[in-house]
Amino acid sequence: MTEIPSKTKTGLISPTRRGALKTLAAGAGAAATMPLWARYTSAQSAAPIKIGFGKHATGIGAAYGRWYERTSVAALAKINAEGGINGRPVELVTEDDGTDPRRAAEVLEKFANQSDCDVAFGTLFSHVVVGAAPRAGELKLPYFVVSEGHHVASGMLNRWTLQPGITDVKSQISAMAPFLTGTLGKKVTMIYPDYAFGYDHRDNLAPAIEAAGGEVVAKIAIPPTETSFTKYFPQIPRDTDVIYHVMIGPAVLTFVKEMGEFFGPSRPEIFGFIDSLEATDLTSPGLEFLDGTYFWEGNPRYLQADAPDYVKAYRDAVGLDENGASVSDPSDVSTSAHMFGCWETLHIIKAGMEAAGYQSTADRQKLVEAVEVMSMMEAGPAHPQGTKMFNGKTHQVFGPQYISKVEGGKLSVVKTVPYEETIYPDEVDYTSMSF
Amino acid sequence: MAVNLPEAALAHASEGAFVLLLPTDAYIAGGVASVALTVLLIALVPEARAHGMFGARRIASAGRWRGQMVTSALSAVLLLWAVSQGLAGTQDPVRNPLPLLVWSGMWLFLLSGQGVLGDLWGWLSPFRMTAALPGLFGLRPLLRYRPRWGYWPALLGYLAFAGVLMVHIAPTDPDRLAVMVLGYWGWTLAGCLLFGPRWLLRGEGLTLLMRLFARLAPLRRQGGAWRLGLPGWELERRAAPALSLAVFMLLTLALGSFDGLNETFAWLGWIGMNPLEFTGRSAVVGQNLAGLLLAGPLLVAVYGLSIKAGLVLIDAGGFRQSFRALAPAILPIAFGYHIAHYLPAALVEGQSLWNLLRTLLGLPEIPVTTGFFNRQASVRVIWLSQAGAVVLGHVLAILMSHAAAIRLHASHRRAALSQAPLALFMVLYTLFGLWLLASPRGA
Repeated sequence: MTEIPSKTKTGLISPTRRGALKTLAAGAGAAATMPLWARYTSAQSAAPIKIGFGKHATGIGAAYGRWYERTSVAALAKINAEGGINGRPVELVTEDDGTDPRRAAEVLEKFANQSDCDVAFGTLFSHVVVGAAPRAGELKLPYFVVSEGHHVASGMLNRWTLQPGITDVKSQISAMAPFLTGTLGKKVTMIYPDYAFGYDHRDNLAPAIEAAGGEVVAKIAIPPTETSFTKYFPQIPRDTDVIYHVMIGPAVLTFVKEMGEFFGPSRPEIFGFIDSLEATDLTSPGLEFLDGTYFWEGNPRYLQADAPDYVKAYRDAVGLDENGASVSDPSDVSTSAHMFGCWETLHIIKAGMEAAGYQSTADRQKLVEAVEVMSMMEAGPAHPQGTKMFNGKTHQVFGPQYISKVEGGKLSVVKTVPYEETIYPDEVDYTSMSF
Repeated sequence: MAVNLPEAALAHASEGAFVLLLPTDAYIAGGVASVALTVLLIALVPEARAHGMFGARRIASAGRWRGQMVTSALSAVLLLWAVSQGLAGTQDPVRNPLPLLVWSGMWLFLLSGQGVLGDLWGWLSPFRMTAALPGLFGLRPLLRYRPRWGYWPALLGYLAFAGVLMVHIAPTDPDRLAVMVLGYWGWTLAGCLLFGPRWLLRGEGLTLLMRLFARLAPLRRQGGAWRLGLPGWELERRAAPALSLAVFMLLTLALGSFDGLNETFAWLGWIGMNPLEFTGRSAVVGQNLAGLLLAGPLLVAVYGLSIKAGLVLIDAGGFRQSFRALAPAILPIAFGYHIAHYLPAALVEGQSLWNLLRTLLGLPEIPVTTGFFNRQASVRVIWLSQAGAVVLGHVLAILMSHAAAIRLHASHRRAALSQAPLALFMVLYTLFGLWLLASPRGA
């Protein structure tokens, strides 16, 4: 795995990427390269393009919903300031899905049949996406999800559901293995919640660790309702080099605190997924123990010293301070590792609509086809998280993954895994399915 | 909320994570001890003091209210506008005026204001004008409201309201809420057409609930004067409620308790739901409905047993009279629960409500923050405020039930003895309430 300092990411465009970019530009870029007046005059309708936003406004995803919305509103402000899509303004039509699959399916119906939306977008929690996507297929409504679940690329959804703006958990996990074994140690003990979310990590990490020359020496599954963990720590083998933890929920701070009390100053290396502490201040009590440990981050929460201008522009537009919290309240920590996907997905919808010459809902199929032929997405104002490669067959994007170290209550990126090292073999070809 | 309803607990480490780090065991012990100590002290105070506990001091004379019909009409116009926005406006529940006014404005804030400030609902209820409407057109009630119907219709209305709050899969969805509000409003209008304004007092659950909580306020108008006393003094001066009203009072606590219980890890574990992967309200409709329907009868049974046990201890009869006379003492507990349960939601929803006002005034929105759930210090203040509301509610309940028992049994000593089982129930209920607050939540 090669380390790519983030400031040079834009400079590292390989010839193949340039070639791919040209291909994309031939189709997608034609409209975008026209002068603004030409685009407006060529627009057949000045009516706004409507993007149906399924928001986790209530239910267990509400914190994510709030930040997904802030990011989406900021992205649309930018897109509209730059001339909209095909010369038309773009607007968000927000519906609350209640973080509930049944409601999410109803929301898609409202987008298609009542509010006359052009596409549907949004939604993080996997069960919501899995529950709603079949309805998108029935309604023939392009459904752009920002979920990071593996359910898109696994082939369980349909031709109308795409995930072009955020990477999936399978690629995230397997991309961590070389760093774990190469830098932190060969013998890994996993601690994870005893249900599907934890199993994703267990089932994807162990083979990757072995492929990288390491060994998972223990797998400690913790019941989801557990709120005290001291009785589990003695199960950690003494020869463990690295602890890999993915605990989530209200007991996370207790988990970290008790782990700190168990190990004291002599601890093994510790690696976690930021999902555990998304939207949580790392200077919270009990988290001192995490100093010097490592986290996967979908996108760096803290402004890195070498951040390029387009990253700063993205953060400023969303309203983030240097610590990844709201500029209006430093305690209001963002869901940084996930919400960038909304920004990028909206830019992809724009690129896809322009490539497809999208005029009305009759062109929905053309839009899906235009996105399916996309490939390279170069880091920049539309893709602040980094350079990505979209796989049209699996409807899933692959992008960089960040490994950060906790230093003084902040996360500093120590390694960026490029998208090339996160790719796994295709499990489906949606393009062979009918619309 | 959290939500709009506090049902919006958060899947990530947030307030709940900090609560788990607080020494809540010690706080709970302190709270329970305070209530237990109140039980002992009340038995030891001199009899004369115990009798006079709920006396009220006259503060000033009070003229007749004027203008309540005007404010009620304005409120009705506001609600009509909100309903139209619910149907035609943005469907984002944190921006649409209808869920904000109904769930935040009325249910969170106004109901809380009732117990502290008195009967604000008398001014702000859109139903008061509704009830007067038939009279304005010269229509007389078509039927006579039978006394034996008591408050049962209001109890059914309240249950229906609670069903929307706790069971319906989308209580904050603006267009569906608009239809439900219109339905309830139409039902209320029909009741008033049939039975006259009396329907509001006997058949309309929300108004009854609001009026009951208002009687807890320390400053009340009575007999042409403003009077100030210990919270709940007005309830103590009233005759024992009818059986249906007593059951209604118990239901306020039962439903409030279940509304907290159904979010806990413990409850979710019982119903086989993974709290870390709560799959939304649509997955628990049956369980929530069962809880909603069983909570009332269960609480009535436990309360009834406590009353009966107390009567057995002093070898007295009059179960029905005691059951009714002591029920008002349950109200401060229910009110304390309401404050405690909705405080975190109110802190978030208040911002959305404020933003609604700003939007109407043409000002930009302020980003809604939940940062105070991310700091140990503020979470501690919030938790202790919630616990304080629960403990104060129980302390007041102990005092009110003792005062009622003195009236029932004439003697201070017999009253104290007869109260022992109910007091034990209240001490245990304090424990339950504080445990609810300290429990990890997942839904």
